[in-house]
Amino acid sequence: MFNAKRFIDETIEKLRDEIDGKALIAFSGGVDSTVCAALVNKAIGDDLIAVHVDTGYMRKNESENVRKTMYEMGLNHRFIDAHKEFYAALRYVHDPEMKRRIIGEKFIRIFEEVAEEEDASYLVQGTIAPDWIESGGGLRDTIKSHHNVGGLPKDIRLRIIEPLRDLYKDEVRKLAKELKLSVNERQPFPGPGLAIRIIGEATEEKVEIIREACFIVEDEIDKAVVNGEMSKPWQYFAVLLPVQSVGVHGDRRVYGYTVAVRAVDSIDAMTCNYTHIPHSVLERISTRITNTLKDKVNRVVYDVTNKPPGTVEWE
Amino acid sequence: MGVEGYISVMTRILVVDNGGQWTHREWRTLRDLNVDAAIIPNTTPYQRIMEEGVDGLVLSGGAPRIGLDGDLGNCNEYLEKASFPILGICAGHQYMARYYGGLVKPSKTPEYGKVELLVVEPDSPLFKGVPSRSIVWESHNDEVVVLPDDFMLLAESVNCKVQAMQHKTRPLYGLQFHPEVEHTEYGEVIFKNFIEMCR
Repeated sequence: MFNAKRFIDETIEKLRDEIDGKALIAFSGGVDSTVCAALVNKAIGDDLIAVHVDTGYMRKNESENVRKTMYEMGLNHRFIDAHKEFYAALRYVHDPEMKRRIIGEKFIRIFEEVAEEEDASYLVQGTIAPDWIESGGGLRDTIKSHHNVGGLPKDIRLRIIEPLRDLYKDEVRKLAKELKLSVNERQPFPGPGLAIRIIGEATEEKVEIIREACFIVEDEIDKAVVNGEMSKPWQYFAVLLPVQSVGVHGDRRVYGYTVAVRAVDSIDAMTCNYTHIPHSVLERISTRITNTLKDKVNRVVYDVTNKPPGTVEWE
Repeated sequence: MGVEGYISVMTRILVVDNGGQWTHREWRTLRDLNVDAAIIPNTTPYQRIMEEGVDGLVLSGGAPRIGLDGDLGNCNEYLEKASFPILGICAGHQYMARYYGGLVKPSKTPEYGKVELLVVEPDSPLFKGVPSRSIVWESHNDEVVVLPDDFMLLAESVNCKVQAMQHKTRPLYGLQFHPEVEHTEYGEVIFKNFIEMCR
């Protein structure tokens, strides 16, 4: 069985040998990067600088929460607001793989700039097994290029260190628990963020829509979990579809977008069941999304696909 | 007894990587069951495997159609020379069938995700403790349509006749479904049975 304590001790030891000087960590505030930061911090202390990039594709209040986590953990940190750059880079981009590659490269270029300012030559990433497995290479087909693996440009000037490479999320959660980190229960939120929850071009206008829709799905499900109406899914969010349909709002015709509700149960994201959300909860989600987003969204659908054949995120 | 002595009594099973999405998951399941497990490329010479010492092999699944034609790295050499147990999964299973004279074709109805498995040979050591009906998860475009002469059928599903097979005299097993994923109900039991045979 996976032994969290032993893994922590051995990894800290290895990191001390491996890192000579300063290192950056790509810090999204999720379980993987937070656990990784804690491990590297134990190994090299203040020589580690946590870098959080606000891509503009973050969830509601995300970057604020991340800032808080970095303070609480006592990490040396940098906070980079790059939303304008990311929006510009993704203009007119529709293809999901293209989006992921552009985002991956943008992240690296930003880290390279920070590394130069900080005189760091290592980049630590919270990459876990499904990231490199799905990114493909060699005999393995590319399912999707995870921004931190398949999305990396070839000419990187930093040495990449990935202490969690062979682990799955449930094992990383065990580490979080052992390290007494409060992020333990957070649901996964992939690096490309809301950009891959908008099918087609991820415009600023659509980001606003999907951010609100994701917030509503999370909020309603969190409440339902607290009320004992359902158990907490592995991951739960909204996807904005480019499909428009006819609706009627207060005796007037509307022609808005469609939001898909997606929730899955899993332990490692390698296989997933779609979550059987009670209809009463789905109804609250649907009503709140359409009332809040008014003429922008007038239809909500529920994704009932397992993985395989689907993947968790739509892109 | 020192650390070295401890390692030497652990069962060593190698996972031959044919490029599957769940190759690493197979490694993890074995490791979780306290097996000394490692992933090796399917181009590893048999000689090297023997030098390192091994008690059993798992032939992983692989990218679409890899079991249909052509070679699967050095899997042919492993099947020809090995005296230890081998478990083929998905493309590994299809290749095993083809190597022994069976036939693999694109599935009329491919299976992705949840499927009900029906065990037809409950006495097989691989299915010890697995009920006659259980849930397994699948992900395949092709399947074994003609069982090789030296093999017998162990399990089937509504859409796929050859879900599991076993060589009549040698410890060779093939599974179309994936025992390594979380959602396969008795996956761990099947792995434990395989490990038992490797001891």
